Order: sequence, then structure tokens, then C-alpha cells
Amino acid sequence: MKNPHILLLSLSLPTPPLETVFVGGLPFGAIEAIKAAYGGIVQILDPPRDGFNLTLKLNLSKLPQDEDQRHTLLVKIASVREVVLGAPLRVILKHLASRTVAPDIDQFVALVHRPNESFFLVPQAEKVTVVFPMRFKDSIDTVLATSFLQEFMESRRTAGLSNAPPCLWSQTPPLELKGVTDDALSANAGFVTFVILPRHVEGRKLDRTVWNLSTFHAYVNYHVKELKGASRICAFLTHWHMLRRVYAQPDAAACGVTYSGSELCQTRSGEDQENTTNKIFQTSESQGQSNQFKFINVLAVDMPLSFVPPRIEVGGLPS
Amino acid sequence: MDPTSRPAVVIDNGTGYTKMGFAGNVEPCFIQPTVVAVNESFLNQSRTSSKSNWSAQYSAGVMADLDFFIGDEALTKSRSSNAYNLTYPIRNGQVYNWDAMERYWQQCIFNYLRCDPEDHYFLLTESPLTAPENREYTGEIMFETFNVPGLYIAVNSVLALAAGYTTSKCEMTGVVVDVGDGATHIVPVADGYVIGSSIKSIPIAGKDVTLFIQQLMRERGEKIPAEDSFEAARKVKEMYCYTCSDVVKEFNKHDKEPGKYIKHWRGIRPKTGAPYSCDIGYERFLGPEVFFSPEIYSSDFTTPLPVVIDKCIQSAPIDTRRALYKNIVLSGGSTMFKDFHRRLQRDLKKIVDARVLASDTRVGGEVKAHPVEVNVVSHPIQRFAVWFGGSVLASTPEFFAACHTKAEYEEYGASICRTNPVFKGMY
Repeated sequence: MKNPHILLLSLSLPTPPLETVFVGGLPFGAIEAIKAAYGGIVQILDPPRDGFNLTLKLNLSKLPQDEDQRHTLLVKIASVREVVLGAPLRVILKHLASRTVAPDIDQFVALVHRPNESFFLVPQAEKVTVVFPMRFKDSIDTVLATSFLQEFMESRRTAGLSNAPPCLWSQTPPLELKGVTDDALSANAGFVTFVILPRHVEGRKLDRTVWNLSTFHAYVNYHVKELKGASRICAFLTHWHMLRRVYAQPDAAACGVTYSGSELCQTRSGEDQENTTNKIFQTSESQGQSNQFKFINVLAVDMPLSFVPPRIEVGGLPS
Repeated sequence: MDPTSRPAVVIDNGTGYTKMGFAGNVEPCFIQPTVVAVNESFLNQSRTSSKSNWSAQYSAGVMADLDFFIGDEALTKSRSSNAYNLTYPIRNGQVYNWDAMERYWQQCIFNYLRCDPEDHYFLLTESPLTAPENREYTGEIMFETFNVPGLYIAVNSVLALAAGYTTSKCEMTGVVVDVGDGATHIVPVADGYVIGSSIKSIPIAGKDVTLFIQQLMRERGEKIPAEDSFEAARKVKEMYCYTCSDVVKEFNKHDKEPGKYIKHWRGIRPKTGAPYSCDIGYERFLGPEVFFSPEIYSSDFTTPLPVVIDKCIQSAPIDTRRALYKNIVLSGGSTMFKDFHRRLQRDLKKIVDARVLASDTRVGGEVKAHPVEVNVVSHPIQRFAVWFGGSVLASTPEFFAACHTKAEYEEYGASICRTNPVFKGMY
């Protein structure tokens, strides 16, 4: 009975939290999305295998002959999770492209992206607001993610990114989500809001936008891990800019970031008192920073130039 | 979903290649060279400028931190641009550059396997001679940076033995001859325990074979561009080399029928893109011969591999020796030469039989010694036998109980990684 051309692919989705609606065990629009993405090569088995949400029967003999097309399709099959979970997102953004709102849709839509976690969409005719409550298990991760996200939001203001979707970070849930249960809004690293405008979903940009939004949590997680690696190896110097933010948070010291500001001040001022004081004045005047950050400016000026603080690029998002 | 219900991630970092994939699979998802290409040009240029262009330095820092590649991508990048420096994080089987190693793991997890490290248990490998401190560093990186829920650091030779485990029966006694790119170890294992005092190492490994081939081709005057000669030699080694039974006979064969034995190699000059070609002659069998007659390659080390294996078994406890001779397992990419196991078995058998004969004559023919069975085992997955063994081990339900967990790490610190949880309290 073994047929090398037939492959069964079963998919188990993360458990949806209460606020997320699944239709027949799948997010809405998933069946249509699968059919649109894979065409004749895939057959959906009903009911799926035990313990899975979806079972696909792939007929490998129907793969396109052309090497490039075949590769594209195989990559698409490998990203089946994005096709299924991103289906509702795709439906809503498609409506945005034609500047309409899908009928029979509530004020906001919750979409699951991680086990028992969802993000929210507020669809309107002119824009779709996407809100990610950010949660991290590890306390150090939480602190780093918070500062990363603040930096992320700020980097949106640089000249090259003026066409990127507006991005906001806040500690409290944004007003759009009034009416959502507290449980769904318990985030420990704040909330990230993207405002997606019709120009971000025109034509081929739609696919990239859906992909970037569905993998946003993984993107942040990747950078948090990167940040930890770099900051641990090179103490605090490489990622200084972000750690400055971390330090500004009262609970940071409790979370394992142990560089105390006063210590730094002492070592620095002991070295070159006059020169340093001078620099404090210069920098705090020119940049108009509050007293709280004085010692940081000193360091920023005195730091060896090879240890420049990083900025986070928003490269992932389409303009 | 609980991490224990997902497949564990198995990563075998070798000096030459890294094998990575998920437990339960028969093949690793990726086999990539263990190399990182880091772009350091940003850092050097910003050194000259002062605080005036703060933002330029600022973005230079980000770029330098984020702009790196691993594996084949790294090799391609370094070839196409001068901005990237290649770093090999592992040398001679030991992690040499932890910074690069961490970046390597990061790319493996996020960019190749594309999984969330918080959701999977991890199985990593180490050489039998790794210092406990290095194991601590590994644990630190895995638990602190990646927040893995559980970690198991296995000795690669034990895994190579475990790879044979499914094919026949549960045999955990044997000698593992692990010839990788950077290190060659001969590790006797009895019932799953490494006999540490009998481990032998040889300073000749896959890289030396490559260097030897490179040298031979250069001396013969083949027109290979200097910048490509190492890579070309590596390709020649991987594609055309074989083990011969007798060097003199093999020379004769080549001289009689050059058309049959001499192959051609076609390459492309990396700088200009122009094609070149060269002949491959005696190096086809002289390359692997380095293991059997090392004197042709170096004057520092002249003990052949079969002699070292014999010495290794002779130094092991006497009650294990027969079992060890019976199960000599090959692992690592450099044992992949055609007929390598046959030659090894023949040479080893010769040594053992000579010894048995000598003892028989010494006793005077009254007592006959029971003949010693010598068996060199070769299997098709030899190239990633260690990874496969890891995959088998990590797919058993007992695996999760044997791991160091994050909770333990937080309670006791990195020192838990010094010991293997299977043998608690051994150290």
C-alpha cells in the first residue's frame, strides 16, 4: 500500500485562547487559503488524523516539472502554518486593499499565533490596526524585549522608513481594544500596534505584509536572543544603547541586569575628572537630556568607538 | 504544548561540518560547514571618525552585530566580497571561539531549523576529551541565551555506537574510530561507558588528507589557482579518493592503464570566473594512504592507524578486549573512502594474528589460543553516524528524563553540565 507519491501532512495548531474563534477546528478562511495556495496537488482529508487540526494529502506526482516553480511550491508547502494561521489576516487585508470592510465581522478580530495567545485586528475601511500583546516567559527576556520594542518604534522615525507602517509601543493596552477580557490582555512586555494602510497591501506587498505580521513574535524573539548573546559576551558595551533603556527601568536590576550607574560614574570620574565633567556639560546641554542620564552620556562619549551602540532596523516591514 | 511532546533538536557540531535536525528523523535537515562569516569592516572605519557622525557609528554597530552568515552562505559571501572574515569556531574538535559558536547556534536555530528554542529539548555533542569547563560554557549559552527547556550533552563516540543500535541488536561495547575533519579519536566504549584512560588521538585527520592532496597536486605542477587550491583538493578528496590494498600494485595499475585511472577535475577561478581543468592521478589513493602509512605525509607522526587502534584495545581492561576487537565502528566523514573498512580490518587482523601466533609458539604448542575475531563495521550513514545516534537516543521516552532542565540550571548553576545525568554522582 506504500505509494511514494502520496504524502500525508498533519498539522496541529496552537490551542486557541477563548477570544479566538475557530470554525471546524481551523481559523476562518483557512480551507479557501489552502486551496488557493496549493491548487490540485493537495487534498484536505476530513476528519483530520487524531490529535491534529488538519490533515493534507499531498500528491507529489502532480508537482510542476519546472525546477523553479516546483521549488516555489515546496517552499509554500513548508510554510503551511503561515497559510493556515494567516488566512484570516489575509482575508481582512485583502478587504483593506479594496477599501472595504468584510461583512459579518466584529469590531475587532482575535487571531491565535502562539499557544493560548492571540493578537488583535481592528479592521476599518481605510486602515487596519494590528495589536500584538507581547509576552515572554523569562524575566530577562521581558526586559530586553521591552527596550528592543521601544527602540524599534523609534527607528520608524528615521528618514528611510517614512513609508513603513506606523508603529507604536505602549505599556497599557491601546484604546481600540476596549472590551477585550483582561486575560487576553495580560502582556508583560507591552503592546505593539501597527497601522496597516491600503498602500501596504497593494498587489504583491500583501504576501510580505501577511508573512511579516505572522512572524512578528519570532522576529522579536530572534533579536532578544541575539541581544542576550552579544550583551553577555561583550558585557554591556555592544548593545549599550538598549541597555541604557533597560537601566532606566526600575525593575531591571532585579531582573539580572546588574550594572549599577553609580559604579560606572565612580570609575569614570576617577580617571579623568576635569575632562569628564566638561563632557557631561557639553553633552547634556547639546542633547538636552535629563540629569538621570548624565552618566550615560559620559560613557557614550568616552567609549571606545568600536563599541558603538546598535540601532534596530525595521527592515522586515514593507514600505 | 509541552516541550517534551515535541521532537528534540539534535545538533552535532563537528570541526568541518555541522549536522542539524530533529530527533526521530533518519537524516539531518542540514549539513553545513562549521564556519561563520562576520562583517567587521564597519567597526574599523568608524574608529577614525569622532563623535561628529554619531549616527553612522551607531548603525555601524548594529550592522556588525547582525551582519553575519554561517555555513555555505558564509563561504559564498566571503568569496564575493572582501568585507567578510571567515571564522572557524571549532578547531580540532574543541570549541575555540565561543562568540562565533553562539552566533552559529543562533543561525542554526532561527534561520535553518526555524524553531523556537524555548519549545524544544536540545541534544548537543562534544568530543570525549572536552574539558568540563567547556561543557559549562555550552550549558550557559543554551540556558541563558536561548532559554532551552532541557539540554543533553552527549559524547559523540557513544552516539556513533548507538547509531548501530537499531540495525542489529543493542550493542554498546565497541571501539569508535572517529575520523573527522579536524580530529581523529579512537575511543573504546564498554557498555556505554567511555574508557577514558585508553582514548587515543592521532594528529592526522580529514584536513591533513586535503592538505596532502593539495601538496601532491602542487608538486606535480597542476595549474590550479592558488586561492582555489584548498577547496579543489577538498572536492577531489570527497569525490575521487579511495583506499587501495597495496600501494606498489596500485602505482603499477595506474601506470599501465592511465586512461582508466586518471580523472579530470574542472573548476572555475573564483576571481575571474574563467574555467580551468587539471588531472587527478596518484593522489586518488595516496590521500587516504596517509592513515595507513603516515610517514609519507609527516615525519613527526609515523604510527599507522591500525597500530594505534591495536594499542588502544591492548590498553583497555582485559575482559573487554575480545568484545572491543569484535565491534570496531567507523564514524566521521573521513572514513567514507571506498574500502576503508576492508583495509583497516585486514591490517588489524594481521597484527592480531601475529600476536596470537607469537604467544602460541611461546607456550610451545600445548595450548591453542582461541582465535580473536576482528570486525570493522561500516554502515551507509557513517558520515553522520553521530547525528543519527543522537536522533535515535533523543527519540526515546527516557531521553527527557536524562536531560539537564532549565529549573535545575537555575537552582544549581552551570556546574550541572559537568556531569552526565545518566551517570549521576560519577565525578
